Amino acid sequence: MGFTRSDVEALSASLNEPDWVLERRLEAWGWFEKMEIPGEKEEPWRYTNLKRLKFKLDDFVPSTQVDVSFGGPDIQLSPDRSGEAHQRGARIRVAPLDMELDSGGVIVTDIHTAIAEHPELVRPNLFGQFNAAGHIFSALHGALFCGGMFIYVPRGKTLTLPVGFDCRIDEPGTAVFPHTLIVTEENSEVCFIERYSSPGLGGSGFSNSAIEVVGGQASRGFVGTIQEYDKGVWHFQNQNLRTARDANFKSLVVTLGGTFSRTETTATIQGEGNSVDLMGIYMAGEGQHFDFRTMQDHAAAHSTSDLLYKGALKGNARTVYSGQIHVRPEGRETDAYQTNRNLVLSDHAMANSKPELEIENNDVRCSHAASVGQMDENEVFYLQSRGIDRVSAERLIVKGFLEDVLGKVGRKDVEGLVSHLLEEKLSV
Amino acid sequence: MTEPLLVIENLHVSVGEGEDAKEILRGVDLKVFPGEIHAIMGPNGSGKSTLASVLMGKPGYTVTGGRILYKGEDLADLSPDERARKRIFLAFQYPTEIPGVSVVNFLRTAYNAVHSDKVLGPLEFRKYLQTKMDLLEVPNSIINRYVNAGFSGGERKRAEVLQMAVLDPDLAVLDETDTGLDIDALKEVSAGVLKVHNETRGMLVITHYQRLLNYIQPGFIHVLISGKIVRSGGKDLALDLEAKGYDQFRVELGLPEGQGAEAG
Repeated sequence: MGFTRSDVEALSASLNEPDWVLERRLEAWGWFEKMEIPGEKEEPWRYTNLKRLKFKLDDFVPSTQVDVSFGGPDIQLSPDRSGEAHQRGARIRVAPLDMELDSGGVIVTDIHTAIAEHPELVRPNLFGQFNAAGHIFSALHGALFCGGMFIYVPRGKTLTLPVGFDCRIDEPGTAVFPHTLIVTEENSEVCFIERYSSPGLGGSGFSNSAIEVVGGQASRGFVGTIQEYDKGVWHFQNQNLRTARDANFKSLVVTLGGTFSRTETTATIQGEGNSVDLMGIYMAGEGQHFDFRTMQDHAAAHSTSDLLYKGALKGNARTVYSGQIHVRPEGRETDAYQTNRNLVLSDHAMANSKPELEIENNDVRCSHAASVGQMDENEVFYLQSRGIDRVSAERLIVKGFLEDVLGKVGRKDVEGLVSHLLEEKLSV
Repeated sequence: MTEPLLVIENLHVSVGEGEDAKEILRGVDLKVFPGEIHAIMGPNGSGKSTLASVLMGKPGYTVTGGRILYKGEDLADLSPDERARKRIFLAFQYPTEIPGVSVVNFLRTAYNAVHSDKVLGPLEFRKYLQTKMDLLEVPNSIINRYVNAGFSGGERKRAEVLQMAVLDPDLAVLDETDTGLDIDALKEVSAGVLKVHNETRGMLVITHYQRLLNYIQPGFIHVLISGKIVRSGGKDLALDLEAKGYDQFRVELGLPEGQGAEAG
């Protein structure tokens, strides 16, 4: 059990990959072999002790049945999507793209088809942001990435409807490694929504995914990740956004499921006049441990980044938020904000929050704020005085507390979807 | 003869527990019939807001004696939401912010809880709400905002009156609705209250100052000092108070200066 070098070679061979891809996989494998599961002495894992949580890589194997087929009769494009792919273990299906988008040069496919058909777009960008050497999980992802999407939006094109990616673990004891790469050219626009789940899994699972976004000049994008795995699933995700001059990107991470969830989000602001919003919503319950790590890296002047992560905790849930704003010497006139708020609804739950600033330029406006609080009885009484019973009042308050984050999404479709999911999760 | 809507009998109320317990209301008696507007006036710390809170069942207050009968039923064991569903409404002195919850969703949830016999869908409710907004001249912009979040003092009070109109209570308690309002806002809010009032509704208007009563014109005025109603009368009593202040009662009753000024 566990993962081996021959898994990497067999995967690459079954996908008929060019040498440069296998080389990148093996380089990552080299890192993996040198690394161990991090302990709490390592600062980035200070509040998350994977050994105490009893996580073992040996409990999992890669999904073996690799199958990539473009199109096919078993997946149709939903009317509210401009592109769509489904992944079940290592089996990936992509819906045929709308003719008009296709002829306009838009590419929406799976990552492996893109490697074969569009190497000129993929090769310079694959692992350009994603750092396989970061830790043992990113190294393993780099070696075994399988599935995920490739989205390319040419200059001036707008994908009005979202591209949807639906990834499921469907076999107990298996791992998925989707890797999605999004490239937007100048003045283009994209919306990507990915969902992770494991309906009927009835066992454990390991999810280790990554997204890389290369945002071109004045391009705009929304990247949403919704994680609603069953208990028993361990989810590790790495999100990287790099944005050029005048770009405007938003990221939303919604974490509701799984036994464990670790999401690392890095926004690298490489051009002037950028605006980046990082948003997070989480609801952790009995037996769940969520860990969020964010980085707002300002490497250019006149840019704004604003982060808002809000979470509600029940049962014996544990959550960790640690985030950094880093303004480099060239980050003159940066506005960077970071806020994490937690609503703790049980005496046994615990939220850790650790914001950090590293400022290397004097001409900036930066702030961070963190709070861990309980249900406000005045709010409960106010709602009760209007006839709403206590249980419904508390639900309304929690939902409102979390939906506050959606105020900056600016997309009704995303707001509606997330609001519905929160409603469902709260009525359990 | 019509039954009274509200009967308060020798009501004693404390806040705090054990040795920290402090009696705020010390034997309040009051009767409100449908169609009547009663004003409770009193200085800071007389127990006015405690009376409002106890009527709505706010946690933290203990009824140590007497009782509150509403439509003949003792309210003692009812939670705030049960009281609201029996059509009691409290307009808050300081309405609470509920971030992330829009006024329109909140009001529909509340309306459907109170009027569970005629539940309205989103569109039907929106139409019903519009009639109340038109009646009270409340701008559309208010209903898509989060409940009381970032509202000005005037907007908050107008929103409370809108809630009252929407929920259509039989007994409305207005707790210092005049605080924080300039004269124009006061006139608007008072006009709203009068539009909502009718012959089946009873109202209890709690205030420190007489100025609100210039517009609302209650038929009955009660002066609450140190947890007791020390005088009841008609609107002349309010004018008398405006002229002479509350100290006249302190002197008459032999109460020391500032008596009962610690709690609301």
